[in-house]
Amino acid sequence: MNPEVLENLRLELRRGCLIVAVLAELRQEQYGYTLRKSLAEHGIAIDEGTLYPLLRRLETQCLLASEWREQDKRNKRFYRLSPDGEVILAQLMLDWESMNSALDGILKDTGPRPPKTVEA
Amino acid sequence: MELVDRYLQAVKLALPKRNQDDIVQELNDSILSQVEEKEAAVGRPLNEDELVEILKKMGSPDKLASRYREQQGLIAPTVMPIYWKVLKAALGLAFLVNVIAAIVTAAAGRPLLESLLPILRYPSIAFTTFAWVTLTFVALHFFGAKFQAPEQWDPRKLPPVVKVKRGKSRAESIAALLIGAIATVWWLVGLRNPVLIMGPGVAFLTFAPIWLKLYPLWIALGIAEVARHTFEFVRPDASRQHLLLSLIPRSLSLITMVLLIRAGELFVVNPNNPALQGAIGAINYGTRLGLIIATVIALAKLLLDVWKLLAGRFQEAHEAAVGS
Repeated sequence: MNPEVLENLRLELRRGCLIVAVLAELRQEQYGYTLRKSLAEHGIAIDEGTLYPLLRRLETQCLLASEWREQDKRNKRFYRLSPDGEVILAQLMLDWESMNSALDGILKDTGPRPPKTVEA
Repeated sequence: MELVDRYLQAVKLALPKRNQDDIVQELNDSILSQVEEKEAAVGRPLNEDELVEILKKMGSPDKLASRYREQQGLIAPTVMPIYWKVLKAALGLAFLVNVIAAIVTAAAGRPLLESLLPILRYPSIAFTTFAWVTLTFVALHFFGAKFQAPEQWDPRKLPPVVKVKRGKSRAESIAALLIGAIATVWWLVGLRNPVLIMGPGVAFLTFAPIWLKLYPLWIALGIAEVARHTFEFVRPDASRQHLLLSLIPRSLSLITMVLLIRAGELFVVNPNNPALQGAIGAINYGTRLGLIIATVIALAKLLLDVWKLLAGRFQEAHEAAVGS
């Protein structure tokens, strides 16, 4: 097995899920640090170097809105889902459910298969 | 928290200019939130090692900044910082080689236009250099080469925070480079053809032999100046190294000025036109006096800058000793 291939597939799988998770978490306004903690509490660990650029990208795509506000004597950038983001999230959640049930069906029908061994 | 400031400064320099301050402010808040949480957990201020651990988790400044970049054409954003560094170094090196070629041509006694030719040819050479570097990076990307940013980077080794504004702008550096290179070639050719420097005045006056005796020094001075400007172009934010590198041409120019002062006679009357014979003594005296004043000021400034550099080093060594 090529570990690099596995790693790439995992990254691809994770990338889409992360976006849905971030959008869903931001139905309630949060700033980057609390968002990261809340994602981690739900079992989705994400480092700052991935989260903050992702937030910027989602904001550029008009899925998030943000503003600077002072809290605990420090300026923080608060993010929340934008009206466009809400529509997109609702659609993504429908897609997720349909994909999830389809995948569930496929995995139950076939079940996990042991790797083939090659005889010399 | 100086380490955090140094880290954020390095991130900022690698970020796209548009949102630099905004992104850095957000990252600063994130780092400080992590520090506060950890301090609350351990019940004391964090030591340097613990702070380094937090910064290392954020990733190297180049890697973190690259994630804010969109894919530009065929070069991946993670490779972009390496590509820019290589491109700038290649363009700088190509310029330096061309200017040295121009200086050598001028020193060989060739006419001004011929001496300037390697500099005038630079735009086409720069274009070829740009094309080769870009093609190489695209090819490496196409064939799946992996550029691994060194992960053993150490936040302690990041450059100190620059308290004043950033160094020269890119346009200023390019202008200084071009003007410096052309002026050097013009000066070297002009010493052998004084009409290029003195214009119509050469009918009355010309350089004394000392100027040509110092020819190797002028060449060295020109190369040192162009090398300094090239470095400033390639590394616009390395202000300490700029100052350090400037000591070489400044020391050379001090030596040159002292040798000129000691020579006494700086200009001689054109033997074909002795109109200024009566005034030549005053002209030499005035020029020599001007050189003496300029030398004293240049020496004082040089000593002051050396002192600043040494004081900065001592302060850093002291801070490192106190911090460890």
